[in-house]
Amino acid sequence: MLERYKIYSVFDLLLEYYNEGRININREIHKQRTTYHDPCNYGRKSLKTFGHGYFEEGRIITKACAPNFVDMEPNREGNYCCGAGGGAWAMPFKTERVFYGRIKARQIQETGAELVIAPCHNCRDQIKKSLNQEYQLGIEVKYLWELVADSLVLPVKN
Amino acid sequence: MIYEFRVIDLAEEFGVHRNTIRNWIKSGAIPAKEGPGRRYIMDWSDYQRLCEKFGKTPRMPRTGGMQKPAQEQGPPPIKLKAVEGNKFYPDATWADICLTCGTCASACPIAGVDGLDPRKIVRMAALGLTDELVNTDWIWKCTMCAKCEEACPMDVKIVQLIRKIRSMRPRDQVPGPIHKGVVNCLERGNNLGIPKDDFLFLLEDLGNELAEECCPGFSTPVDVRGARILVTVNSKEPFAEPDDMKWWWKIFYATGESWTISSENWEGVNWGLFSGDDEALKTIVGRIVDNMKRLNCEGLLLPE
Repeated sequence: MLERYKIYSVFDLLLEYYNEGRININREIHKQRTTYHDPCNYGRKSLKTFGHGYFEEGRIITKACAPNFVDMEPNREGNYCCGAGGGAWAMPFKTERVFYGRIKARQIQETGAELVIAPCHNCRDQIKKSLNQEYQLGIEVKYLWELVADSLVLPVKN
Repeated sequence: MIYEFRVIDLAEEFGVHRNTIRNWIKSGAIPAKEGPGRRYIMDWSDYQRLCEKFGKTPRMPRTGGMQKPAQEQGPPPIKLKAVEGNKFYPDATWADICLTCGTCASACPIAGVDGLDPRKIVRMAALGLTDELVNTDWIWKCTMCAKCEEACPMDVKIVQLIRKIRSMRPRDQVPGPIHKGVVNCLERGNNLGIPKDDFLFLLEDLGNELAEECCPGFSTPVDVRGARILVTVNSKEPFAEPDDMKWWWKIFYATGESWTISSENWEGVNWGLFSGDDEALKTIVGRIVDNMKRLNCEGLLLPE
């Protein structure tokens, strides 16, 4: 089955478009300082389960759209979870979820970034809808593909 | 006995933001009342419970009153013989090889919550405390982020252990909506039970909107046979944030991609992974494979 079909994560497809020159990106739209959140499932856990962690793909695309880039510390396989993974976003343990996210909030704050890119639905919801308010981060949060869509120079079609 | 505090002090003590403390007070998670001089008061026992919940030592000790004698505290000793043949993990790398160093607990953002941490979970597994593990909610507060595993010098399979423990919780006692979502997905094709007609109407409507906004000529491709890429959907988007689907569609428009969404079994989120339900997980994956065959697509895009 895996030989017959190609499985694309969002990173694979976005990077394919980028490398093949199929998307035209305006780098002037996102000038603010931008950081990137490594989702546990695509980074640390993917590396261990499948032998490849999606660390660089998201950064290549983020930097292409938002050149004023700064990494959180620690990052990649050492990154801290947003606090809402593994189904926790939907769990009835809100207090614990916010407490969990305090380290993520601090990491974001320390970068001084105004824009945080999250390539995972769950992480994006936790950072945008919970941590941003609870810890007064004053940030904007976008999906990786939202960043690309907002940076696109659309082709003229008839 | 009353414990008096300022929001800023409690925030510092627990490492959270001041507003988080205020929110917890507002929601009742911290049972405190406003006192004089911008201070709050709560019962000392509530403060102690809060400390226990997050694994902290109370900053201010209780003065006066009776203390429990030490010998009355703690659980009864565990008889190791009783756990023979009672193991619920397949090999030693899930718990037995643990050196008990506690590095995992240091790496874990919720170590101490409910008095538990990854090291204790692994020890409890090694000792065969199955019921205690299956019944604790800590297992579901953990996000299976694998920070503990990354830190572990012995490479103990902590996340697999956690997932196995989750799988042993009776299904009607799985916290939150994730098991309900799995049942919904099996019975109705997506986690949130969105009816097919509503979904198709939404796709068409949003497609027309996108065409008007910035992508002239765009329409949402549904069940297009021979499309290069089958696109699965996170059901929260059509349910609550439908406009968010347009970002990917705009990218497809820009690249001239050949893609399609299936009208049935389009769910891209598999909650069986988190609820520990392997059978459901396989069934849901199988449906996506069927869609790939039916629509003769080359590639599959997952929602994240």
